[in-house]
Order: sequence, then C-alpha cells, then structure tokens
Amino acid sequence: MAASGAGSGSKTYSFKVVLLGEGCVGKTSLVLRYCENKFNDKHITTLQASFLTKKLNIGGKRVNLAIWDTAGQERFHALGPIYYRDSNGAILVYDVTDEDSFQKVKNWVKELRKMLGNEICLCIVGNKIDLEKERNVSVQEAEQYAESVGAKHYHSSAKLNKGIEELFLDLCKRMMETAQADVRAKGNGASQSGMSRRGVQIIDDEPQAAMAAGGCCSSA
Amino acid sequence: MSQKSERRGIHVDQSELLCKKGCGYYGNAAWQGLCSKCWREEYQRARQKQIQEDWALAEKLQREEEAAYASSQGAQSQPSLTPFSKFEEKKTNEKTRKVTTVKKFFSPSSRTAPKKAPCEKVEKVSGARERHGEALLRDLRGMFTQPWEMMSPTEESHEGKTPSPSISRQSSIETDRVSRDFVDFLKNLQKPGREIHKQCRAFIENMANKKDLGADELSECVQDFYQNMSDRLMTHFKGSTERVERVMDQVEKYIMTRLYKNVFCPETTDDEKKDLATQHRIRALHWVTIEMLCVPVDEEIPEVSDNVVKAITDVIEMDSKRVPRDKLACITRCSKHIFNAIKITKNEPASADDFLPTLIYIVLKANPPRLQSNIQYITRFCNPSRLMTGEDGYYFTNLCCAVAFIEKLDAQSLNLSAEDFERYMSGQASPRKQEPELWPQAGPGGGGGSSPGLTQVYQSLDLLTGLEARQERVLEGARGLESDLISWQESVEREVQEILEKYPLEIRTPASAIDSDNVENDRLPPPLQPQVFVG
Repeated sequence: MAASGAGSGSKTYSFKVVLLGEGCVGKTSLVLRYCENKFNDKHITTLQASFLTKKLNIGGKRVNLAIWDTAGQERFHALGPIYYRDSNGAILVYDVTDEDSFQKVKNWVKELRKMLGNEICLCIVGNKIDLEKERNVSVQEAEQYAESVGAKHYHSSAKLNKGIEELFLDLCKRMMETAQADVRAKGNGASQSGMSRRGVQIIDDEPQAAMAAGGCCSSA
Repeated sequence: MSQKSERRGIHVDQSELLCKKGCGYYGNAAWQGLCSKCWREEYQRARQKQIQEDWALAEKLQREEEAAYASSQGAQSQPSLTPFSKFEEKKTNEKTRKVTTVKKFFSPSSRTAPKKAPCEKVEKVSGARERHGEALLRDLRGMFTQPWEMMSPTEESHEGKTPSPSISRQSSIETDRVSRDFVDFLKNLQKPGREIHKQCRAFIENMANKKDLGADELSECVQDFYQNMSDRLMTHFKGSTERVERVMDQVEKYIMTRLYKNVFCPETTDDEKKDLATQHRIRALHWVTIEMLCVPVDEEIPEVSDNVVKAITDVIEMDSKRVPRDKLACITRCSKHIFNAIKITKNEPASADDFLPTLIYIVLKANPPRLQSNIQYITRFCNPSRLMTGEDGYYFTNLCCAVAFIEKLDAQSLNLSAEDFERYMSGQASPRKQEPELWPQAGPGGGGGSSPGLTQVYQSLDLLTGLEARQERVLEGARGLESDLISWQESVEREVQEILEKYPLEIRTPASAIDSDNVENDRLPPPLQPQVFVG
C-alpha cells in the first residue's frame, strides 16, 4: 500500500497513520508534541496540526510518517472510512478521565477491524495521565481490552511529554513488520502497487456503503 | 467601364495567373503559383524527402542510442515510427492551408501576398532542412502538436489577431504550451526523455481510440500507464523516488492536458447529474450559519474574512485547471487559507476538529462549479502517489469528507430540531430573519453578536440621517441666498432710481455756432467760392 516505495529495493517506508478519538481527548496536543515537541506554546509557528509528517530512521531504514488528524466530533463520525482507508496504522486516543471517550475508542476499533481487518496496526492511547487523580478508566480494563482486539495499549501525557516517543516508535516497528510480511506474502512489488490503486476509488454517494462491502458501519 | 476595373485590379498577365506547371488550371500565389493539384504533388514530394532525411538521421541517432543502451526498450518504439510519419504529413498539410488563409486575411492588398508568401515558404522548407541537428526535437513536436501549433511567432501573432478566437483555440494554445514545456523538460533527460515522450504519445493516440470506454476503464488505462511508467523510471533512476516523481508530474501534466476534454465528466457517467444535485443541495443550504457548524472563524476580523474570501476563490478556481495535480494544488491553497483564518481567530494551530467544519462552511459558501466531476476526475486520473499519502492527499480527502457531509447533512448534524431544519430547507423561515428583532435593543452600531452586514446597514442608515440634516441645511442656505439675491437686486434698482431722480439728465443745447468763440477767425481768408471757368 502506501509503503509501495519500499517494495522495489529502496529502504524508505511511507506510512499513513490516522488519529482517531473524540474531540478534547488531546489528539492534536499529542501529535504536536511528537512532531514539534511543543505543548500549549504561545510561539508555535506551525500553521496547522491536522496533517503532520515525521522522518524516522529505524534500524537503518528510513521511515516517512504521515499523520492524519481526523475531526472527532460525533457529527463527523460517519466520515471515518474516508479518512482511514489505506492507513497502515491507527492511533486511538481516549482521555483517562473520561469514560465516554474510551467507549468511543471501542466503537472505532470495532469499525476498523471490520473494514480493514488485521492489515492495520492499532494503538490505543490513554492520554492525560498527568491527571491521574481524576482517572475514570481503569488501567487493567483498558489493557485487557486492547489485548483482546490485538491492539497495543499505551499511556501518555502530552503535557509532560510522557510515553509519546515510545508509542510512535513502537507503532512504526510494527508497521514495518506488517509491510515486510506483506511483501513476502505477495511475492513482488507489482501486486502491491496494484492494490494501492484500488484504494483510490472513494467518493460515492454512500462512502460507507461503498467501503463496507462486507458489512455496514453506519450503525456502529 | 471594363478598362476602369482593370486598372483598379492587380497588374498581372493572364499567363501569370495560370499554374506554373502549365497544366492549364489557374495557379495560386499562396501555392507558389501552382494550381492546387500540382502544389500538393510538389509540396508532398519536398515534404517526403525532408521527412525521409529527418528520419534517417533520427534512426541513426536511435541506433547509436540503442547501442549505447543495449536495452530492449529502444526496440519497442520502432514499430510506432512509420504510422506517425504519415500522420505528420497530414498535419503539416493542414498547417500550410491554415497559414495561407490567415495570410490572406491580413495581407494589406492581394498584391503583396504573392511576393511574401512564397519566400516565407521557401525559407521554412530550407530552414527545416538546416535544422537537422534538431531533427529529433522537431519531429517530436511536429507530429504531436496541433497542425498550427508549429507556426513561427509572426504567424502566431496573426492568429492572435483573428476577430473571434474560439475557446477551443485558446485551449489548444494551452495544450501547445504544455507540450512545449514537456519537450523542454525531457530535453534535459536526453535519451530517456525521448523514450518517455514516445510512450506518452503512443498512449495518447491509444486513448483517442478508446473514447467509448466507461470512465472506470479509462481510469484503469491511465493508472496502468502511470504504474508502468513509474516502474520503468524507478529502474532507470535506480530507485531515486524524488526524480521519478518529478518526471511523473510532468508526464501527468502532459497526458492529462491532452486527454482532459475527453475524460472530464464523460457522458458515460452520471457525473453531471451529481454535479447538479450537489449544486442544488448547496443552494438549498444557503441558510446554514457559522454557529450551526461550530466554525472557529471570526469573520469580523478583516484579516480572517480576507482569508475566507481567498479560500472560496481557490476552491472555485479548481474547476478551471486541467491537470489533476493543479486541481489538488487549488484545494491545498484553499486549505492553507482556512488554516490561516483559524490561526488568526484562535491563535493556535488548527486541528482537524477545526479544519473540517470550516472547509464545509467554505464549500457551502463557494458552491464550487462541477464539484463532483472534479472530485471524480482527480480520483480517477491523479497520480496515486500524490493522492494516497502526502499533504495534498490529506486536503483532498477532507474535501471529499466535506462533500459527503453536505450530502447527508440533517437536523441533527446542525444541532437543530427537525421542524426547524424542515422550515429552513423549505424556505418558510430563515434563521437570519430573527436577528432584526434583536436590533432595536442592541441599537445601531452596537452590533454584539449580530451579522456584520446588519451593522453596516445601520451604520449606513446613520450616515444617511446625518446626510439628510446636512442637505436640509444646505437647502435652507440656498433659499436664504435666493431671497438675499432678490432683495439685493431690488435695493440696487432702488438706489439707481434714487440717483437718477437726484441727478436728472440735463441736455444743454449749444448757445452759438461752433466757431463763435474762435478769435482768430477774422484772419482767415474768406471761404472759397465756386467759380465757373469757361473754355
């Protein structure tokens, strides 16, 4: 898929990572902290925090990470499939002080697994651990849930810059593994790129229905 | 009578009018004094010879190339050569015909044309022969550009002066420019550049025969072509993604500029219907406000509203571009303006939570022409490497989201009750209509939370009231001035009358003759008396 450039000899991987989660859980802070190392800074020069890129070097291999922020408001929920199609990874953020936001994450996971299967690497992130005292989502419950759906669970604080590097590094490694397994399974790079094209067909009158093919997500 | 008309006409002998070949038909100056039949034969012979020479050289070059490359790719291009040479012939013939007609229009009299046209022709033919070094480039250009595209600058300027340049001609000028840029770009690549050009040309030819295919098949063809091309380039540039992308951008530009007319909103799809539906939908939603969408943009700040206007312009401009990538660039520019507007309003980088609602608002305000067709076109024919990842791809995806949202928009997504939504949609009520009631309380000029338009209306009303008072004063003054003038006139008259009465005009009659008081008169000789002389 997006890593097709990696298929033919060159050692550069390109990954698309989509950020999902309710509004106000700190998606934007998380990614700004990661890419710009800034939090609530009055001097942030970045114009926007909805599309950010990061270049990494993992084990001698270059990785280009494109991080896609999504609108978290409930009214835009139905648009999810347009955003996350062809993603290599998804970061699902919830607020540890907000039980509801964790429920939302569960919905997203269900939907993603239904639509993209196991191709996509999932990360569930409990953000705002600096507000540990007000915690409303139990660590054990969250970690158990993550394991049950084949996702990794992390705790982070954009404010204190905790757990963010690890989270992205880990995700990249997993996406690289998936991409390599993909190459091995498919044999050559040609079929890979053929696949990337099919993904381009998007906009239809009913985006979800078109994407679903197997099941419909609009109920989720 | 007949003499007169002869004098006025062109001074040529009857024999000069005939075809120089002596076939008995009339010749034409534009055809070097030959008749149409002889000219065609003559011209084609010259052309043929030149083409053969050029091709001999081109083939020689190619052989050298192939020897150097020893690649299998070179051989593939060989079969495509012959059909194209015929193609060129036809097009050049068309070209000359066109040139002569244009000349006829613009030559000041029919007399100058015969002298001018042939020598230019000769120059051209011989000039072309001399340019053997450039044979390659010329061939590339000559065969695949529109017939008249090869004209010299002077001819082009003639062309420009034609009374009504049609749209197709303008678009051809663009096509021409793109082709030229493409050739110039490929020149830097030297040998592979030639190969790329050949492939593209062959592909465009190929596509011309596939007009009947459905949009998806056309998309498939183009995408396959991109795929093959980039795979080959990848091998050639030994994996330098950057260089491959640079070439691919040019390839896309060239191909899509030429295919645009046939593949944008093709008749085989219902794109047009969807365009209309979306347009109506957006028009029906004209009443949606910033507050309903929770758009984090404050249009009262001049800088912000400036950015909003720019964003609207950019998204509308998208329709005027031909190349998918240029269309994408418009969306990206629009997005940047939106980010600017948000950043100025909120003083922090915009997140997707802010961006998407604003984009939706911009789309609703702009109602961009042929929105669905454009989205479909980009989806079908954009180079996937751009669309899949990358910033442009992100903004495009957001635009798709915005359109999908607008299509599905309901009362809930605007936080309205179903009844209100229905009323607004049917036009029975407008959310803006309630605002004027607030106005008397807020008072003119104190527009807290009301639309800037109304504030302006009230300001204007204020100004108008002031103006009225001033006008009243002016009128009063004018009236005063008028009465002053009248009374002044009267007083002047009165004064004059008084003076006249005071000093009446006395005309004294003279007491004596004029000379009476002249003392010396006595000394004067007596006046002459008339005398009669006889004899």
